[in-house]
Amino acid sequence: MYRTAAKRLVSGARYYYTGKVGLRFRPSQILIPSSRFSTSETQPLPIPVATETETPNSSDSSPSSSSSSTATKPRAKYEDQQTRVLQASLSYVLKLGWTEAALVAGARDVGLSPSIVGSLPRKEATLVEYFMDGCLQRLVDKIDSDESLKNLTPSDCISKLIRFRLEMQAPYISTWPQALSIQAQPVNVPTSFKQRAVLVDEIWHAAGDNASDIDWYAKRTVLGGIYSTTEIYMLTDSSPDFRDTWAFLDARVKDAFDIKKTIQEAQYLAEAVSTGLGNSFQGFVGKVFQR
Amino acid sequence: MALGTVTRRLGNKLLPALSPSPRLLHSHATSFGFKQVNEEEKARMVGDVFTSVASSYDLMNDLMSAGLHRLWKDRLVSKLNPFPGMKHLDVAGGTGDVAFRILENIHKVKLRGLRGAFQDTLEAETQIYVCDINPKMLNVGKQRASEKGFGEDGSLVWVEGNAESLSFQNDSMDGYTIAFGIRNVTHIEKVLSEAHRVLKPGGRFLCLELSHVGIPIFKDLYDYYSFSVIPYMGELVAGDRQSYQYLVESIRRFPSQEKFASMIADAGFQKVEYENLVGGVVAIHSGLKI
Repeated sequence: MYRTAAKRLVSGARYYYTGKVGLRFRPSQILIPSSRFSTSETQPLPIPVATETETPNSSDSSPSSSSSSTATKPRAKYEDQQTRVLQASLSYVLKLGWTEAALVAGARDVGLSPSIVGSLPRKEATLVEYFMDGCLQRLVDKIDSDESLKNLTPSDCISKLIRFRLEMQAPYISTWPQALSIQAQPVNVPTSFKQRAVLVDEIWHAAGDNASDIDWYAKRTVLGGIYSTTEIYMLTDSSPDFRDTWAFLDARVKDAFDIKKTIQEAQYLAEAVSTGLGNSFQGFVGKVFQR
Repeated sequence: MALGTVTRRLGNKLLPALSPSPRLLHSHATSFGFKQVNEEEKARMVGDVFTSVASSYDLMNDLMSAGLHRLWKDRLVSKLNPFPGMKHLDVAGGTGDVAFRILENIHKVKLRGLRGAFQDTLEAETQIYVCDINPKMLNVGKQRASEKGFGEDGSLVWVEGNAESLSFQNDSMDGYTIAFGIRNVTHIEKVLSEAHRVLKPGGRFLCLELSHVGIPIFKDLYDYYSFSVIPYMGELVAGDRQSYQYLVESIRRFPSQEKFASMIADAGFQKVEYENLVGGVVAIHSGLKI
């Protein structure tokens, strides 16, 4: 069962980024209704659905449903304009943060009315997601173009790619805590989780791991954890060029690949468990005899 | 919660009385409620409807919709996402309900401290144009603006005009809203193309209108409420059964949600979406001009 689900996930994720024409801004997708990693397959041609987010000043208590009417050509044009607005907004992030204000400033730069911001379903989350998708695209391009990666050991390859990916966030490091908090909002968790899952998957593929065995989830969970902890470590790193962060990253990756250490830890765990059981048993017997 | 909910508002957008003589020879039939009339007749008949209901307009709205129309308009404005310095046009908004909400929303935006982005914009004043073809409705709106304290605010501009031939320049508006008005115009297509013309690139079109209920059992209850309760209520409160009979009939003649969305797309808008409220009693359509 896991193997089948994993294969569908892999093929879906791979298909998603197969085209090298360039990353098109993804249309709204049906959100996964849970933050747990879903085993549902990514749809090759997602049906665009506008998911409305209740804004703080909305007092509408009526049930509502939404639908959208789109055609191929007009949609492409709209997405181009939306991409231009988001791209222009990135240059205001350092000054205004990941906010609606940055989106408004970006819209003005490209000569559009700020009203276009109102048509983005989740506004500042859209901006963060656009940035994350752009970083993923650059990572994929590097994986495809950098031949030296093929000569590295898996651990070195993974360290290098995670570092490359996190360096893309370095220019925005002062406002990145805000971006993380935006991604952590319940309505945005499904998309941000999926983005990170795809990222981890790409890195493992680049390291040469194409298996769909029982370790599939464990490997991606571990790498996801390494990425996240390094990302958070990076937020408070004031060393030159984040030297401490890269040292931290290398150590974590080496730990994950250290088989001997893993065996030792397993032994420690076994001893601790048996000791614990022994103590409990002795206590139980002691009480019985005292009666 | 009331089972069936209907609301209605002003907004009669009609052809001017002047029509070229060749058209008289080939005058097209159009609908006034369930009756087929020629285009010139519809303009006059709808004008009569709103002239007669102007005074008791708000009271009937509250009664018919159990106050829900306020929530619907709040929803419309929240979807619009107003910002300081915007140039906005509210068509068929004579009594000012939507315009007032937009102004209040903009004031909240200012208080939320988004000044960083709107520093330069604050120099440019916010302009909310309220356009209506019926001067009685406009007078009601001006009076209510004074009562609410918006009278001194230079942001509100009251304009008498026809939605099918607006007097505004091309590419001049950030937003365009029409609430409970597009159902009463003679040519919906003309209104949509005019909206597209006056909007800036990136500007948004939003339309709040009574629409079609699709849920089976709810539909029957809604039909009963529409054709039995509302005209009676109109006669009792406003002393005018005919006008409210026209109201419920015109709702049924209006295009369905999907068809109206495709009409908006045909007018040149992109990212056309709609949201049903109360199962389709009311629908908010939105489109974007690029």
